[in-house]
Amino acid sequence: MTPPPSVTAGSAFAIPTTGSGKAALYIVGPAQAVRRDVDLGQPASFAAGVLYNAGHYVVLLTGDSVADTAELDVVPAPQPETLGFLAKPSRLPVGTPNGISGAIYIFDAYHNLITKPLPATLELSNASGIVQTRTVTTLNGLAWTEMNSAEKEGTVKFVARVGNISSTRIIDQVPGDPCAITISAAPANGKLLVQTAPVHDCSGNAIPDGTIVTFTETYNNMQTTVDVPLKQGVARVTMPAYKGSKISAASGVVAGNEILWGGGQ
Amino acid sequence: MNKGRLLAAGIAVATLLLLVIGTMWPVTSAVAYAGGGQGDLLVAPSTPEAAANDLGTQIRLHAWDKAYSSLANKAEFTQDQFIHDLTGYALSLRTYATLDGFEVQPLHQTANDADMIMKLRWSTVVGTFEDKRNVHATRSGDHWAVNWPIVPEQHVPPQVIPVNYLRWDVITSGSGDDWGAQDVEAPHVRIVDMHPVNRADGVVVMGELLNEDVIPAYVSVRSTLLAKNGSVLDSEGSFDMISHTLLPKQVTPFVIRFPGVDLSDVASIRMQPLSVLVSASADPVIEVLNQQYNAPPGASLTGQLSNQSGQTVNVAHVISSFYDKNGQLIWVAGQYIDRALQPQTPVDFHISVPEDIARNVNTERTVVSTYVLGGSL
Amino acid sequence: MAAVAIHLPLMLMQLPLKSYDTNFHIFFASHYVHHWFDPWNPKWFAGFSQTTYPPLPQQWVALVSWVCGLNMAYMAVQLAAILLLAIGVYRFSRLWVGPRAASYAALASVFLGNESFLVYSAGQLSTTFAAPIYLNALPFFFDWLRYGKWRSLLKASVLLVAAAAAHHATLIFGSAFFALPVIALVLMESSESESDEKTSVQAVIARTVMLTVLVGAAIAVVLLPYWIGLIRYPITQTPIPHPSRASYILSPQWGLNYFIVPYGALILALPFIVIRGAAVTRLRPLLLGFWVAFLVGLGGTTPVGKVLLGRAFEVLTFERFSYWAALLALPILGLVLVEFIDRFRLKAAIATALLAASTCALAVAWSSIRPADAANFDVASVALWLNRDGHDRFRYVTLGFGSKLSRLAIMTDATSVDGESNSSRMLPELTKFGGAALTSSKYFAKPGLDSLRAMLAHADRYGLKWVIVRDSYYDPLLYFAGWRQVDELDDKTITVWGKDGVPPATPMNASQMPPHWQGVLWGTLPFGFSILALLVIFLPEERTRGFRDDDVSLSREQALNGEVLS
Repeated sequence: MTPPPSVTAGSAFAIPTTGSGKAALYIVGPAQAVRRDVDLGQPASFAAGVLYNAGHYVVLLTGDSVADTAELDVVPAPQPETLGFLAKPSRLPVGTPNGISGAIYIFDAYHNLITKPLPATLELSNASGIVQTRTVTTLNGLAWTEMNSAEKEGTVKFVARVGNISSTRIIDQVPGDPCAITISAAPANGKLLVQTAPVHDCSGNAIPDGTIVTFTETYNNMQTTVDVPLKQGVARVTMPAYKGSKISAASGVVAGNEILWGGGQ
Repeated sequence: MNKGRLLAAGIAVATLLLLVIGTMWPVTSAVAYAGGGQGDLLVAPSTPEAAANDLGTQIRLHAWDKAYSSLANKAEFTQDQFIHDLTGYALSLRTYATLDGFEVQPLHQTANDADMIMKLRWSTVVGTFEDKRNVHATRSGDHWAVNWPIVPEQHVPPQVIPVNYLRWDVITSGSGDDWGAQDVEAPHVRIVDMHPVNRADGVVVMGELLNEDVIPAYVSVRSTLLAKNGSVLDSEGSFDMISHTLLPKQVTPFVIRFPGVDLSDVASIRMQPLSVLVSASADPVIEVLNQQYNAPPGASLTGQLSNQSGQTVNVAHVISSFYDKNGQLIWVAGQYIDRALQPQTPVDFHISVPEDIARNVNTERTVVSTYVLGGSL
Repeated sequence: MAAVAIHLPLMLMQLPLKSYDTNFHIFFASHYVHHWFDPWNPKWFAGFSQTTYPPLPQQWVALVSWVCGLNMAYMAVQLAAILLLAIGVYRFSRLWVGPRAASYAALASVFLGNESFLVYSAGQLSTTFAAPIYLNALPFFFDWLRYGKWRSLLKASVLLVAAAAAHHATLIFGSAFFALPVIALVLMESSESESDEKTSVQAVIARTVMLTVLVGAAIAVVLLPYWIGLIRYPITQTPIPHPSRASYILSPQWGLNYFIVPYGALILALPFIVIRGAAVTRLRPLLLGFWVAFLVGLGGTTPVGKVLLGRAFEVLTFERFSYWAALLALPILGLVLVEFIDRFRLKAAIATALLAASTCALAVAWSSIRPADAANFDVASVALWLNRDGHDRFRYVTLGFGSKLSRLAIMTDATSVDGESNSSRMLPELTKFGGAALTSSKYFAKPGLDSLRAMLAHADRYGLKWVIVRDSYYDPLLYFAGWRQVDELDDKTITVWGKDGVPPATPMNASQMPPHWQGVLWGTLPFGFSILALLVIFLPEERTRGFRDDDVSLSREQALNGEVLS
């Protein structure tokens, strides 16, 4: 028995045998085992698609008059068929260096990882075109890279491409922490209408609606607080009007300015 | 009289006697089912305390007719108003609360008048709350009757409150998507403060959790105490002492209790914040008004909650964090509000602070989480 | 015939399914169907042993269910108990009264409100199964004491052990209420007998001791896994309130439930039962037994229960004491009816029939007037939900399901931390506070809700991910404790809440798992003794016993005058 040293996954091949009589041929590998009854002296033929899992196999020939073993490697097909593409995170703040990571795994038609080095391209693009590109070579079937998030909020397409195969993920670049919170107060029906100026991050992106701004009014050892979500970029609340009260605002770990209410003066 | 008749008469008399004894001096379980706590259920209210006790018993049994008719000032309000005063005008914790017990403390008494404090301990699904009422009792003939200090319903003026609230909905990936397909990530949350303290009943781990993301998060915190040899001493969760729904950039305090564990046995603490992406709404907005820290003795944080939205909030949970002069978190405490928060109608809250901690309190911060009936899915 | 005519249609309508405990017994039976020799049941309390509850009636239900399914098997076993009661009452009554009065007593047992209350409202299969066996054992007990017949000793012993295998409490308290009057009767009869039939007091005592030792030893072996469990894990849980401990005068609503409805028209007969029982000398021990059971059955209405039972008063429920009291009263009632009908003929018969029918009807209807579950609903949709998509990898708890908790447990593969068998639970969150099943925690006020909160707080520990709610009362707690509503079932009347981050359930309480030999014992001896009881009962008798027709064939005048009798 003289099997070929290696065959391509899913391809047809034959194993010549010698001698005479009947025997059983086994091909046993990490994820697949095949058995054939063979007439010794005739080659054992395997059609395309019979042996398709890449790996190292042992070939056993057993019969009344024969017992032989050999080894056989099944290697992935050279042509990529599918891409596994892991992109992290799906959402991140703008202006984050190396915040976006992409890892690609290249498979053949039978989902064998193609370990042969292959060139891969990873592109980050927004509505106006490609903004960042990296070309990497796979090592043992894997390639990965890191990219910076943009300064401007919005979704970007993260595309991995090998040959004419590609896979796309969407990354949401969201505004960062508020850069500064500026509040103003005005009397309203005997109370105080306190509101922020439109809140932006340090790159000038508007902080999304729903973000909580905490207003605090302190007066004579008393305190009034309220968590208000931004609506249309502004947080607005009515608070008690105490002359001499101090009013401040904060969002997360970012504090804003403080105003001293002097009774409308 | 022959023996048979004597025996029959003896059984009858003994039975009657036992019934009378059982009724006049009932066993504890019988007293509990009869709504009382005093064991003198058939005694007429010949004292102001007895009148208040009888009233408490009737309230406990939900015997509203008897309770209302026993009041001295029932002409001032209807029976429905009396019932609603106790069970709430809108659906709230009071609505299904059961009176777990009550206490009557006499303050002042003359021949025909008496002042007392009635402390009603109500049991609700989220815990107990105390309803303290200053009651006045008057004498009428040979019996006393209670003047019930009714808290009138506060009516919200008819109005239209425009609501254009923000809401986040989530679509998750389907099971048929390809390998490696991304889902929307869990919100990014961060513990910004953590502080363990040793208390008489065990270790208390408290801290604050920030949602640093731009989407709402459903959060909880789990804490595991590890001994010096690395073994797990105990593992507990924040349960209801946290505001589980955090909007973007919102901070919640949390408390995790480890009963029976001594801090000296703890070598390290493993904190596990959990965040889940959920559909959420930015409303209702609750304003914490006139929050005031009252220094010891009897240290407490008092204030009012005002519902700025147009919908009724059925249950509100106030959680306050207390800081020392260095800004270090030193205590977290909470209180469920037993009355519903009607729009624009302030409701008082009162959170007690342990005396030993109260001395170090410099500032405080309060968050409110809310439950609206039918709004949880 | 009367028992079949009245109760068979009700059983075919499966009326007991509306009761408090029927589903609980069917749940236990469902486990025996699949695991006859393995009493470890993982479906409740994160795993518990069914050796914590005597198994006999449930094993019979399991066996019969192979023929007609669990529900009808329960009905068949319950009907058999009702039929057996009529026989038992007749045989027991014959110790005290003549055949006609005993027949009336047996007929009255068919209409007995206490029996119908336990069958259709309380669902106490074990009590109503054990009592007739016990009553059937007592005549043999009498014969053994009176005449020293070994065959009677054998029959009495086997029947008593079978009764204990059905419900051990019946035997313990039955000994006081039923057996002591029988011993007194033996002594009285013996002292009045001619010399050749006289039995010495010493002989009676010796025979009593002998039977007690024999039966005690047999029960110790037959219920050995139960005793081992009781010794290893003594019941230390906080007592759970039960309204049968209320004062029926101060709390008339419970008086209606536990006195008026069960006793029914028997209340009208009570004075006559006392007068007649006191007048006839041989009935006096029975009357005293009835009186004590009656007083204890009044729960907290008198101090008797508390004084006699001590701490056990806070653990026991008292509707079964009323049941036993009624059974003890039946022989005397039979005698009263004989005299009543002899005196007023057709009028008396009609009045008695109407009163009996009304008593039975009220007790049967009570399960509909005051149902265990306010709303009847199907748990099939919940079971389907739990059984699909891997939901059963986690534990669940229901809220607002009442006795449907057991029905759900029968239908789902998922396991729960809750359950209805209070004596079987070991989890500290359940035993510490004084609440019963978590599903009904709101009815136990603070103790019940404290227990629920403790369990929810330790959800991760038990793999408790799902809370299935049929009462929005609990929604605020779940919301604030970190559960999220994840699904709605049954036209939105049932909501499913889930908690994120809970690890899948793992087997627990392994130390409480009974070894295999206990399972074999549990699956063999209790049931074996019931088969043995069926066999020995057919051994022929040697002679008549107890009350003979010529003993006390009293005229009404004699009785009223107290002649001969006192």
